Amino acid sequence: MGRGPERRSRGPTGPPASGGGSACKLTAIEVALSAVLNGLAFGGLIFLLAAGLSVIFGLMDVLNLAHGSFYMLGAYVGLTVLGLTNNFWLALIAAPIALAILGGAVEVIFFRRIYQRGHLMQVLLTFGLTLVFVDLIRWRFGPQTHSLPTPPGLEGAVHIVGIPFASYKLFVILFATVVAAVLVVAWRKSKVGAILRAGVADREMLGLLGIDLSRVFTATFAFGAALAGLAGVVVGPYLSVYPGMDESILVLVLVVVVVGGLGSIEGAIIGSLLVGLANAIGPLVLGGFEAASIFAVMAVVLLVRPRGLLGLRQ
Amino acid sequence: MNLATASVTVRFGAVAALQDVSLEIASGERRALIGPNGAGKTTLFDVITGARRPTSGRVLLADADVTRLSTWRRARLGLARTFQRSALFPNLTVAENLALAVRVRVQAGWRIWPSRLEGKVAAEVSSRLDAAGLAALAQRRAWTLAHGEQRALEIELALASQPRLLLLDEPMAGLSGAERQAAVTRLRSLPEQVTLVLVEHDLDVVFAVAQRISVLDHGVLIADGTPAEIRADPRVQEVYLGRAD
Amino acid sequence: MTSLRRTTLRRQPLGLLAFLLFLISVPAWAPNRFWINVASQALIFAIFAMSLDLLLGYGGMPSFGHAAFFAAGAYGCALWALHRSPDLLPLLVIGLAAGAGLALVGALALRARGIFFLMLTLAFAQMVWSVLSNNQLAGVLGGDIGLIGVPRPVLPFLPAINLFVAANFYFLTLAVAVAVYLALAAIVASPFGRTLEGIRENEGRMQSLGTFTFRYRLAAFVIAGALAGLAGMLSASFNFSATPASAFWTTSGLAMIAVIVGGARSLVGPAVGAMLVVLLQLGLSSLPAQSLAEHWQLLLGAVFIAFVLFLPGGMVALVRGRAG
Repeated sequence: MGRGPERRSRGPTGPPASGGGSACKLTAIEVALSAVLNGLAFGGLIFLLAAGLSVIFGLMDVLNLAHGSFYMLGAYVGLTVLGLTNNFWLALIAAPIALAILGGAVEVIFFRRIYQRGHLMQVLLTFGLTLVFVDLIRWRFGPQTHSLPTPPGLEGAVHIVGIPFASYKLFVILFATVVAAVLVVAWRKSKVGAILRAGVADREMLGLLGIDLSRVFTATFAFGAALAGLAGVVVGPYLSVYPGMDESILVLVLVVVVVGGLGSIEGAIIGSLLVGLANAIGPLVLGGFEAASIFAVMAVVLLVRPRGLLGLRQ
Repeated sequence: MNLATASVTVRFGAVAALQDVSLEIASGERRALIGPNGAGKTTLFDVITGARRPTSGRVLLADADVTRLSTWRRARLGLARTFQRSALFPNLTVAENLALAVRVRVQAGWRIWPSRLEGKVAAEVSSRLDAAGLAALAQRRAWTLAHGEQRALEIELALASQPRLLLLDEPMAGLSGAERQAAVTRLRSLPEQVTLVLVEHDLDVVFAVAQRISVLDHGVLIADGTPAEIRADPRVQEVYLGRAD
Repeated sequence: MTSLRRTTLRRQPLGLLAFLLFLISVPAWAPNRFWINVASQALIFAIFAMSLDLLLGYGGMPSFGHAAFFAAGAYGCALWALHRSPDLLPLLVIGLAAGAGLALVGALALRARGIFFLMLTLAFAQMVWSVLSNNQLAGVLGGDIGLIGVPRPVLPFLPAINLFVAANFYFLTLAVAVAVYLALAAIVASPFGRTLEGIRENEGRMQSLGTFTFRYRLAAFVIAGALAGLAGMLSASFNFSATPASAFWTTSGLAMIAVIVGGARSLVGPAVGAMLVVLLQLGLSSLPAQSLAEHWQLLLGAVFIAFVLFLPGGMVALVRGRAG
């Protein structure tokens, strides 16, 4: 009994669309370095997802299991836009916008009705949404794997200390770093960031200060969905796009959110780095048990320090 | 059962909810705990019942140090409590609410085969429903009850454990005159040996029921004595009684 | 004498009996073997869902890790049947024991409550899944693919009855399902069950009355795990295999949908909900309208969302006239 023919047993990252480096004669150091860079790229990708989910969870107390679906939908929006316009950058802009609209709509139509019903119903609602979304995607696009072509200018590899490393992956690292920097600055310095941080620490207080909570919620949810959509397009040329990519990535994002801390952007950065590196280096060191170890770490954090490394919420 | 706290302090970061609170309440005494809102009365109750660990200090029940004991173990020693906001079992019927309390007391909870005790449980539930004036509501779910009815159930749940020490946190809050009378009558039915500690804002009830009064303000115990002494105490008048309500 | 709540078993004995007779009659009128097999799978999932109802509906402990115990039962029995013997009785015991044993390990999660408990159970499920699907351990556990070639059990005293026959296996699952239902009905009506519900409603109050609540939550967790393991054993026997996918957190999610749609806290509701989920999943594929065939997830998801929004009490609430 399960979700269907998704690639469950292939592990969290799914089959890669393009290999990382050439297959010949890599020394141990080169392998390690390659793994580290792969880990950073994957970590960057996860960060885009974890940041949104963490703030949504921290502020709204909603564990949005459909966050992976937003990621998947973003990838397919990217696929479509790319198919129509052949312009990667357009896709990169279109997906977040489309997902922001969808996310906002989902929040208004579904979540508003059930906030007072407690965690379980909210979580299950998002689970129901994942079923609907994955089926719709498979219906429209079929079960096969797609990949987005690498945007011109970012194809090929650069050589870092003599090791070939896909240019696109470097782009992913840089892109994620820029987004992270922008988010941290906005989180710490802007008025919106202050409101969100206050809300994460004490939601009731925010209401008492006269701020329209429902608008903040909708905007936060929409923004998280937009980031997820962005991640979906970014991932296209690097990993594969298939119905079921939502499921494989979601659990890793959850680990990041738990470990890094609920409602903390900096926590999401640290968590993503840890998980990304663990995911890349793990197979070399732990030979297959890295998945179990990652979840074990998540369990330990939940038991010992439920609010995570940098989380504010109790 | 007597109760004592020794220098209990509770800090949240820099804020001290309770500072060095030392109380001694004799077995069978009727003590009232008064003070303005936010004085720390509920926090003190939380420390006594074990819901909150004090930053420092000790709690003694029947002369035994229970500071490290969990809530349920203290309850088994004979400690019962009502809550400021009724802590009922919302989706269960009123009868079932009381049955739970009785069952725990007679240790009939951990069973798959209902023993003969179930019959006794049902009988006691019946008589308690009558005594508390809730018999007509027996099959209603607790969340559907009106505020006054919920408070009556709240008190009865605590009474059902036949406690030796009963902490009542604003039991009369929001009750009408008739409901207050009924509650006071119900509390009067408690055996004399039961120690009663009452947090209450209604000073008529306080001066009618209490043998001694302790006054808490901003986490500090500022006065402790007979009703006459407290009425006369200038510090108390300034902090509490003197304020226009 | 005030009457304390009566269970579905006592309230609607005729209705349940009618339902049972209906289930018994299935092999007689089912059009072919395919549908009898669908019915068997429906019953297996119903057992799993009923065990989850104990945990979720009565105990108030929603868990994404429940399927891990199902997988434990499946793998335990698969290994035993493959390497030792296919006798039914030891397999039943192993199913229960494997589920209960893994539950004792997973009980660490009981230190948390609410959403953190939920996430802990999810982490636990994923740990179990990753160990089961690990190709390093493929020699013992079969890796990605799992264990295959599991034989059907052999009945004690009646070895002549061939459980490879669809109808025969169906009656076995039905017998187990009825036994599980009766056991759970007794448990939830018992003082233990009432106390468990009190803990669900207000754990703090139960502690303040003098209950050592952890003991009850642990017992419910282990009993539910054992019964999930039993369902797993039947599943491994039915499918001739045990796969890692059964431990994935989404399997538990599907079971929770079954419980909510059927109506939590009623045992019968989750059983019926589970049967509907399986019917939807397997039955649609045989419809002539191929366009609908593969979209059970869309249908189930949409129906479930509708229930969450408008009818959280499930179908049972509909039947009871929303009295809840």
